[in-house]
Amino acid sequence: MIGVARAAAILGLMVVLIGSARADGDAARGEARFQDCAACHKLEAGNNNVGPSLHGIFERKAGALSDFRYSPAMKRSGISWTPESLDKFITDPQAMVPANRMPYAGMANPGDRADLIAYLQKMSK
Amino acid sequence: MTTKLKEVDVVIVGLGWTGGILAKELTEAGLKVVALERGAPRTSENDYSLPNIRDELRYVVRHDLMQNTARDTITVRNNPNQEALPMRRLGSFLPGEVVGGSGVHWSGHTWRWTDMEFKIRSNYEERYGKKFIPDDMTIQDWGITYDELEPYYEKFEYVAAVSGKAGNIKGQIQPGGNPFEAPRAKEYALPPLTPILASEMFSEAARNAGYHPFPRPSANASQPYTNPDGSKFGGCQYCGYCQRFGCEANAKGSPHMTVIPIAMRSPNFELRTHSWVTKVLKDSDGKRVTGVSYTNVLNGEEFEQPATIVLLCAYAINNVHLMLLSEIGAPYDPVAQKGVIGKNYCYQTGAGATLFFEGKFFNPFMSAGGSNATIDDFNINWAFDRAPHNFVGAYNVSGGFNTALPIGYRPVPSGTPQWGSEWKRATAKWYQTAMTISASGSVMANRYNCYDLDPTYRNAFGQPLMRMTFDYKANEHKMGTHAAQVINDIAKSMNPTKLNPARARTDPWTVVPYQSTHNTGGTIMGPNPRDSALNKYLQSWDCHNLFVVGANVFPHNASYNPTGPVGAFAYWVADAIKNRYVKNPGPLVAA
Repeated sequence: MIGVARAAAILGLMVVLIGSARADGDAARGEARFQDCAACHKLEAGNNNVGPSLHGIFERKAGALSDFRYSPAMKRSGISWTPESLDKFITDPQAMVPANRMPYAGMANPGDRADLIAYLQKMSK
Repeated sequence: MTTKLKEVDVVIVGLGWTGGILAKELTEAGLKVVALERGAPRTSENDYSLPNIRDELRYVVRHDLMQNTARDTITVRNNPNQEALPMRRLGSFLPGEVVGGSGVHWSGHTWRWTDMEFKIRSNYEERYGKKFIPDDMTIQDWGITYDELEPYYEKFEYVAAVSGKAGNIKGQIQPGGNPFEAPRAKEYALPPLTPILASEMFSEAARNAGYHPFPRPSANASQPYTNPDGSKFGGCQYCGYCQRFGCEANAKGSPHMTVIPIAMRSPNFELRTHSWVTKVLKDSDGKRVTGVSYTNVLNGEEFEQPATIVLLCAYAINNVHLMLLSEIGAPYDPVAQKGVIGKNYCYQTGAGATLFFEGKFFNPFMSAGGSNATIDDFNINWAFDRAPHNFVGAYNVSGGFNTALPIGYRPVPSGTPQWGSEWKRATAKWYQTAMTISASGSVMANRYNCYDLDPTYRNAFGQPLMRMTFDYKANEHKMGTHAAQVINDIAKSMNPTKLNPARARTDPWTVVPYQSTHNTGGTIMGPNPRDSALNKYLQSWDCHNLFVVGANVFPHNASYNPTGPVGAFAYWVADAIKNRYVKNPGPLVAA
């Protein structure tokens, strides 16, 4: 029983680690990471390209822009974009929102994601 | 009723890579430019994104981005004694018809053609003597050198996000690259794509045989990239939908997401889509062109667009067709061997083997346009002695695959029934286990391989169709036999469970199935007006304000894909017009 409880505790800890975005992101480095996104996403309000504008992303729910054609999967997802939820999403977009239409395989490195999110927090306002 | 429009500085016929590059460069130089494109306007945002993309039925089977043969096609025959018949469905090659042209649906393979091609006749005569070249082989020097074109290759490669490994930087051979390539000034724009298992296995076998494998250079961005013009690329996602599709990740260098949007932002530029040019107009003495006639295909309205300079930038076949329809330059006659327009049509040849390895998982659904490895030991390498094999030309060999689509990619060992439950079992069993090794070979010009206007069949505008007369000759058969042998030797050294061996093509060429969209020649460049239609600046010898850009200017076809030199030539012509022609209009080379 002790073994099981300990395993559960470790599992719980892992969930906490995976589920939270690191707060120590560097926005300057994140600008370079944003190259991954820039082919499809713009930061100016109303500028939808291949992907939706990321302006104000942290103040809205997934699939909320009226003038962008989202996938049904994204519209149904019910995600509110926070640094934590975005971190989880860009780790592996298809794992979090299966059948979404973003053609991007994911950013594996937690440090890179933290930098990117720091950059987005600064630039999407 | 034809509406005559206001004169502009430049009219561009066809807006793909060459038209797009010239539109950007010439509007930036302050010229007023109008581009006329037959096809529809399409964008990455609206058209090449999910769920519109990755649709094999729509794009591959139904040719969504291609020319509609119900409106215009060509007639085809193997030799002048036959009656040519219309190609009623696309097959052997796929001309694009859309803003971006074939640059939307290409794979991205980007090569530098070298002096081995540009000085082909001199090279072979010098090495093997005049008699080595058969009498009916009408190959000729191009009148340009690799050194002249080098900076323009680089310009195109950096704009199109070509990923690769240099093999020769300023004469220094680089490990991991192609040791036979001509010297380049600097590395590729981006590092090579991640190799797939099939290309790694091929590379190992090729190295063991003493060859020099290298990653195939391709305009598939291996990582996110901003090109020198500021166009943004995403990194390739290895989705396998390059050839015949627009790229959903904005990772494949294409004119519709690079040069064309830049031109579109200029007040000097106007694009008219659904605009079908039927004729280039000449002035009364035939020394200049005055503009073009075109029809809006949506409503049938006819227009005349006068222009100071006319640039033909349509698909290679259609550029030649327009020259013949407009009666510019003397049409080529293969019997008398007189005239130039229609001369030296060339195609490509090849051979391929499929290897099956029980227990291997190649994951063929994950690949990119450029995920094969290639050897040039039998291509741009003079150490390969052609004398014992008695052929002119060359081939490259590659291993891997660049596309393996769910409907069409069904590799099975030869001997498997072609349908029924046996076939179904085999396709399920072998799908994961197959890889290919294939050769792409040059085709030398022959006096009887050419274009002219068909005497019988007409297009939707009442104009004669273009007639193509083409077949492979003994030279290509001999090369194919050699290539098949090399492929099979490499394949056998890899010990596959089963092997569908490569065989040389010796049957007459037919227009089905798909083979290659690398059609070349018809309005060839050269050092003098007797043997060529255009000078080295791709300027018509007959009308100095007409330039014709595309693979139709190549005097013969090499083993490499043509888009590298096609893109480089577009920049080369843009510089010639901006820096020389506009200041002093007239022939840039004395006839």
